[in-house]
This record gives sequence, structure tokens and C-alpha cells, in this order.
Amino acid sequence: MYYKTIKKNEVGRFLDGLLAEYTVVAPVRKNGVVGFDAIQSGEEAILDFSNTTASPKGVLMPQLETLLSARAGEEEAVEHTGMRKPVVLFGARPCDARAFMFLDRVFNDGIARDVYYGNRRDALLIVSLGCTRTRDTCFCTTTGGGPLSTQGSDAMLVEQGDGYTVHVITAGGAELMNSRGLSDAHEGVGEEIRKLALQITAEIDPPVDLSELKTSLDNSFDTAAWQTLTEKCLSCGVCTYLCPTCHCFDIADEDNIGVKVRNRIWDSCQFPGFTMQASGFNPRPTYRERHRQRIMHKFSYCDDNHHMTGCVGCGRCVLECPVNLDIRRVLGSFRGRNGG
Amino acid sequence: MTNPYMPVPMRVEKSAVETADGSIRTLTLSFARGEDGKAFSFLPGQFAELSLLGTGEAPFGIASSPEDSNLLDFTVSRVGLVTTELHNLKPGDTVGMRGSFGNGYPLEHLREKSILIVGGGFGFSTLRSFTGYALNPDIRRLYKDITVVYGARNPGLLLYRADLLEWEKRTDLRLEVTVDEADGEWTGRTGVVPAVVAGLDIDPRTTIALVCGPPGMIRFTLPALSELGLSPARVYLSLEMKMKCGIGKCGRCNIGGAYVCTDGPVFSLAELNKLPQEY
Amino acid sequence: MNPTDCSNRIAEEAGRLLTEGTVDVVIGFEKGSLPMRSTPCFVRTPQDSGKLVWNSFCSSNLSRYLKQFPGKVGIVAKGCDTRALVELIKEKQVNRESLVVIGVPCRGMIDGAGVLERCDGKRVSDVEERDDELVITGDSFRITLARGDFLHPACRVCFTGNPVLFDVLIGEKVQEQARDCYHDVSDFESRSPGDRWAYIMSEMDRCIRCYACRNACPLCYCGECFADATRPQWVGRGATGTDTLAFHVMRSMHLAGRCVECGACRAACPTKVDIRTLNRKISSDIARLFDYRPGLRIDQPAPLSSFKPDDSEEFILER
Repeated sequence: MYYKTIKKNEVGRFLDGLLAEYTVVAPVRKNGVVGFDAIQSGEEAILDFSNTTASPKGVLMPQLETLLSARAGEEEAVEHTGMRKPVVLFGARPCDARAFMFLDRVFNDGIARDVYYGNRRDALLIVSLGCTRTRDTCFCTTTGGGPLSTQGSDAMLVEQGDGYTVHVITAGGAELMNSRGLSDAHEGVGEEIRKLALQITAEIDPPVDLSELKTSLDNSFDTAAWQTLTEKCLSCGVCTYLCPTCHCFDIADEDNIGVKVRNRIWDSCQFPGFTMQASGFNPRPTYRERHRQRIMHKFSYCDDNHHMTGCVGCGRCVLECPVNLDIRRVLGSFRGRNGG
Repeated sequence: MTNPYMPVPMRVEKSAVETADGSIRTLTLSFARGEDGKAFSFLPGQFAELSLLGTGEAPFGIASSPEDSNLLDFTVSRVGLVTTELHNLKPGDTVGMRGSFGNGYPLEHLREKSILIVGGGFGFSTLRSFTGYALNPDIRRLYKDITVVYGARNPGLLLYRADLLEWEKRTDLRLEVTVDEADGEWTGRTGVVPAVVAGLDIDPRTTIALVCGPPGMIRFTLPALSELGLSPARVYLSLEMKMKCGIGKCGRCNIGGAYVCTDGPVFSLAELNKLPQEY
Repeated sequence: MNPTDCSNRIAEEAGRLLTEGTVDVVIGFEKGSLPMRSTPCFVRTPQDSGKLVWNSFCSSNLSRYLKQFPGKVGIVAKGCDTRALVELIKEKQVNRESLVVIGVPCRGMIDGAGVLERCDGKRVSDVEERDDELVITGDSFRITLARGDFLHPACRVCFTGNPVLFDVLIGEKVQEQARDCYHDVSDFESRSPGDRWAYIMSEMDRCIRCYACRNACPLCYCGECFADATRPQWVGRGATGTDTLAFHVMRSMHLAGRCVECGACRAACPTKVDIRTLNRKISSDIARLFDYRPGLRIDQPAPLSSFKPDDSEEFILER
């Protein structure tokens, strides 16, 4: 672990250097919306933004991914699990980097390793952009993260003066940062960053005790409050699709002209069809049951299944929910509750 | 690295109509490639995903007994896109299979116990797998009494008639077949499954029940079993929940801290009572 | 009427309706958890009616919630919301007799995201609405913006700010903007086909198929949406190119003659897809072919569910 520096006006050239060996996915601004996209040149990347509208999870779990395909007349299906060209995810916020640690537990662990996610993951390096400012929707510290947390990152940029201090964290990060003309950082920069982290953390609402919350939620499954708390939910997929830890998917086949495919596509526990059974019975028929599932899954069941809370506090769902159904408010009404 | 989403090719050996209305068929499949058959094994209660590329994939309980793991039975009810295509398959056609998935029935807890098997309608498929398994001479002696209660809404909807006829004749198994509503030719028992269960004489201290059927049947059978003295730890259910990946990743079968496809589909009532009551 | 007085009048009215037992619930807005957001709320007791607010951040179309409330319902509705009510009544989704409409004249809703962008991501602590100005106070800054610069796109071309249907009217009617400002449509039509395709496809590229647009729309109330059907599979479910285009084209066709242009779809969209281009085109066609605008009068049947002998026959190319 060590520190280097790079000036703001050198970042573009640095990325151009990476582009020779890696696919680089970075934040770009298109039509007023900031999102992650593969860049063709370093100058496309932007680093002056709060956070992207959608999370970078698409880099490992694309919204649509073909798993198998077969051309007409072919018996054997082709598996699309090929080794990937190495990818650098550049400019992800620490919350998003941490989210990949959670997704790893879902896709890599368990009874089988998901090779589609796995192969992409093996080829991915993450250079995050530490947060020197926060939004009023951020609550990363509650979930175990922080504005300058290094969890999940191979390297992290921290804005200081007219440039960035580059915190090189893993061997993968070192591979990216060495021999690329970056200067060493000055003595004491580590301490400066630690102090900065405390300062920034103070901007975020104090963390909530999540294990206490889990107990409260576990005791409140049948409470009538769920009805009124979720009444305005539209049952759309905004919260789940923008979320960096949400990973539910469907496997949907298509018989297109000349080729049959089996695709993995994003799905959402908020959609009515998610749990609809062939008989027509749906164990989660309304917004109440579905939204309760979202909250319980993220703040209770994920702890049981994956030993990590299924939320990194990025606040996207809070910011973008069309009806301002604020997850913090829902959780707040369960704090200190003993059921009933 | 094995790809858990890649199906193995199976050949349709037989496709037999089970019910009078043709809505349920049993497909008998063999492995198209020998090595897949050698690598495959399963336990009663487990399921597999059958798929047709370009149409889709769906989970089905394995209905045959594991003694012959090269010929697998799947009972399919025609309710949607995939099941309609499966119904249209002819012997010689190919279908993809992924599996075996799930935890199966708790065989280790059944030794030296009497077993009460309660099945309703289409839910009987994995119980048929277990019954076939249990009747194996090497296995049969591990259990005490075996009682099978199996019912359907009407005689036309009863599955596995050949098995039922054979089991009726056996002395190492007590079979009670019933229908909710008889038709003109039915000479057997009429009555709902829970009522038949309620009339049984079993020793609750040495009996384990395996139950699978539609929600309506389950709802009334559980109290009947409780009346007979069976504690929740002695009643096992095979849970029906929409499933897709079969390997605990797609999220749709998540219920509480469990995934039906990996922690289930078989759960004891005691375990189910601890899960969120989402049914 | 300023927002504070509006809010108080609405709360008063709701309190009265609930005390008298005229309605079981009042659907309105309460203060959101973020600056420049108001959030739908469902008030069931007179004591809770004090929660109700009204301001320029009430962009959701609350008519969308009526299907969740079968009894007698009070609903706070601006112009476009009441047009949706008219269509829902015509389509027999809602009973006029079970509704008490608290109509609120509207000068257009403000796109808070646009304001935030103007504030360079600095935290906003307070927003004050003063006639045609917005005074934004935040982290060591205070700016005054012209309201008109930050209206939601749908509000810029709205000609029904005043409720077309109401039982109670809150405040004075507002001056309406010119009717039928379909300049946006003719401007778009004047572009080359290649240009238009490129624009629409670049908008479709941003769509993530979250269905916020559909679910926010009061006229999209089908039990099973065509987009979710598998038998047959009308449209692919991936967020790719022509599948996404197909979804939006088909949805706008299903809304032909029914879309009241409230803009709830665009306001709900997290990636700001310009969905309205398609709906506006169809609205302008319907206006031209049938001299009809949806949601204005209950006694006017929708053109695509009725036939008149003098309906336009321009689709017949040859006799």
C-alpha cells in the first residue's frame, strides 16, 4: 500500500495509456445524464460528478447477457463464457466498489460459481474515486462503508489540490499505477487522507445500528405498518435497477430469426411477475409484500445468506424513486421497535 | 470450470399422458451422452430444470426412483409456454436438463421410522420418486410401516395408475387412494385427502410425514397431522415457489434466510414456521 | 394563491371531508424527504390532514392510485390529473360518484433535478417559491432562479393548468398557455428521417426498462401489461435497441387518444429518456384527425373506441 499522485490534467493521458491494454469503463456525461460507459479516449471520462445515475454493476452483470445460443440447425449450443479482455472500472465511488464485494458473495460463493460473472470478475480491476463531498442521500457509513473506504478497490483516487493522490491498494492496483509516469506522493499523505475521511464522514448522518435493526425487522414481518409504509410504491424497477447490490435476474429465451438464444436479464422483486406461479397464485400479490421483501432481503436475509448487508448506502434509490419512497424513512420506522 | 447454466442433452424415450384431460404428461428421458449419465445422481425430492433453447426453462421434480439414474421421469402439467412445448415432444426429440438441484427428502431422519406419505394431485411426483425408492428391498427394511395417502380432484386426474395398481397389491405398503369427487365408474374411496389422513391410526412418536400438494390440501392436512400428534419437526413439506436458476443466485425463490432451490424445496414444518409466513 | 395558503386550504378541505365521513381517504401530497420533492400520501384521519401540502414539486399524477382505493376517495388534482380522471371515468375504471375532486389550478411543476444541476451539486436546504421566482438557499449560497426556466417539459406545453373536473377549487384559476402548442412535433418532423432515427435511438439507449414510466401513468392500468406477456412474447425484455423502441412505440400506441400529457412518465424516468416525443406526435395526429383532445369532457367518447361516419379516411389510399 503506497501513494502516488497525478494532476487533474494528466488523467486523460493516463487513461489513454491504460486503453492500450485494457477496456476502460469510466463515468461519462451524455445528454445531461452521468453514467458508466466504455471510453475510446481518456478525455471522455469525467471526474466532477457526485455519482452516476445507474450503478456500475452492469460491468459484471450486464442488463442483457446472452448465456447460450445456437444457430438454426445447430445441435450444440455455444456458451458465451469466453475469457474477457481485462477491464478497468475507473471512477467508481467507494460505495460502488464495496458493492462488488457483496455481489462476489452471491455469484462466486454458494453451491456453484457463476462462470459468466466469474470470468468478468477475474478480468476486472477497480480504481475508485474517493468522496471529498457527499450528497444528502448518502448513508454509506451505516452499511459499513465510508467516503474514503478502500474496501473493494484496487486503487483509489482522492482529490487533493489540483490533482489526485492515488492510493495503491492491491497488487492489481500496483500493476495499473506502476511504470506509468506517476510521481510519488509526499510524506504524510496517508495521515492527511485519514483526517480528511473523518471530516467527510461528519457530513453523513450518524450510522444506524444495523444488527439492532435486523432484530427489529425480523420481529415485525406481520406488522400492519407495512401497508401504509409502502402504499405509494409504484412497483417499478427504479430502486432495484439503479442499486449496486441488487442482482436478481431472469433467464429468458428468444427464438430470433436464424438463432435461438438464452439470455440473462435483470429482474426485480418489485415486479408482480417475479413470484407469479404458473397456477396463477402469487405469494407477493401487492406492493406491500414486494416492498417488504426488498427491505427484509437487504437488511435481514442477506445477513443470513451472505453474511453482509445487501446495501452499501449509495442513496440512488432515495434520489431517484419517482415517488420519494425513502428507504431511510422506512427503516427509521422500525428502529427501536419490538414487533407488533 | 463447469458452467452451471449449461444443460446436458437428454433424449425423450417416452411421453405418456397421465390424466384423462391430457393436461399432464410424464416424460421419460435418457442421457444422450453416456458421460453425463455417469456423472449424474439424485435423491428423491430433488428437481431438475428442463429446457428448450429458444423457448425457455422450467423446474420439475424428478418423479422416478433413483435406483435407475439413467432413465428419468418428469411429470409436466401444461400451463404455459415451456410446458406446452414439452408436451409436444416426441420420442427421439432432445431436451436440455440441468440438475439435480435442491435438498431432497431427509433420508437420514427416516431410518427406523414409519413413514406417512401424503400427496395431492400434481404434487405427488417427487413422492412417487420416494415411494419407489423406499420399496427397494435394501431400503425397505430400513423403515417400519409405510402408508401412502394420495388423492386427486377426480379419478381422471390421478397420476401413475400403473404404480398405484402395483402398490395396492403389496403387503409392505398401505395405499389409500381417494378422489374429491367420483365419476360414474369410480369404485374406490371418495373423500378429501385431509379427511383420509384424519382417520388414520399412526404412532406419532415413531412416524414422519412427507407431504406435497396444492395449497388447499396442505392447509387442511397440516391440522389433521397435528391432531394425530405429529410435531412440526416430524412433518416435511416440499415447497412450491417459482424458481429459475436452481443454484441460489437469481433471487426469485428467496424466502427469509433461505433459498427454496438450495435450502429446500423440502423443509420441515418446524423450519417453515421460522420462515416469514408468505403463503 | 401561494403554496402555503394552498396547502392550508387543501388540509382544511381534507379535514372536513374526513370528519364528515364523506370520504374514507384523501390522496394528496406531503413534504418529501429531500429538497424539492413532494411525495404522495394517503390521509385517513382528520388529524393527519395537516400533513397535506401543495407546491411546485407535486409532479406525480395521483389518479394513478385510485385503483388501490375502492371506497369513497378524495383526491387532490391539478389540471392534467383531472384530465386523467376524466379518461378513467370514461373507461369505467373509476366511479365519478365515489370521488371528491379537490382541484388545484397549476402554473406548471418544477423539475428539481434541473435546479440541483444548476446548483453544481451543492446541498440545498430550502426552496422558497415567490411568484415567478425560486429562491434557493443552501450550503453557503443563495440564488434566485426564474421559475419558467425549470419547468418539467410537459408543463411547458400544457394548456390545461386549471382542473377540468372538480368538486372544490383551491384558489383562483390561472391564465392558460396557448392551446395546441405542437411546435415541438412539427420541429421534430422537419428533421431528416436519419436525424430523427438517431435521436430516438439515442434516447432509447438510455432506457433501462425499469417501467417507471408505465407504472407512474394513470392510464396504464392493465392487469397484465403486453410487455410482461409470454404467450405470445410481444416484445423482448432486454434493454437493447429495437426491443426498447418496440416497448415505447407499443405503449404510446396503446395510449393513443388517451394520453393526457401530464408528463408523469418523463418525471418518473431516472435516466430522463425523452419518451414524450412519441406521445406528442400521436397526440398531435389525434388532434388533427379527430379534432379531439383527451381528458377534457366526460361526454366525449375517445376516438379510438368509437366510430363516427365522418371520421378521417386519409388512410384509404385508393378507392
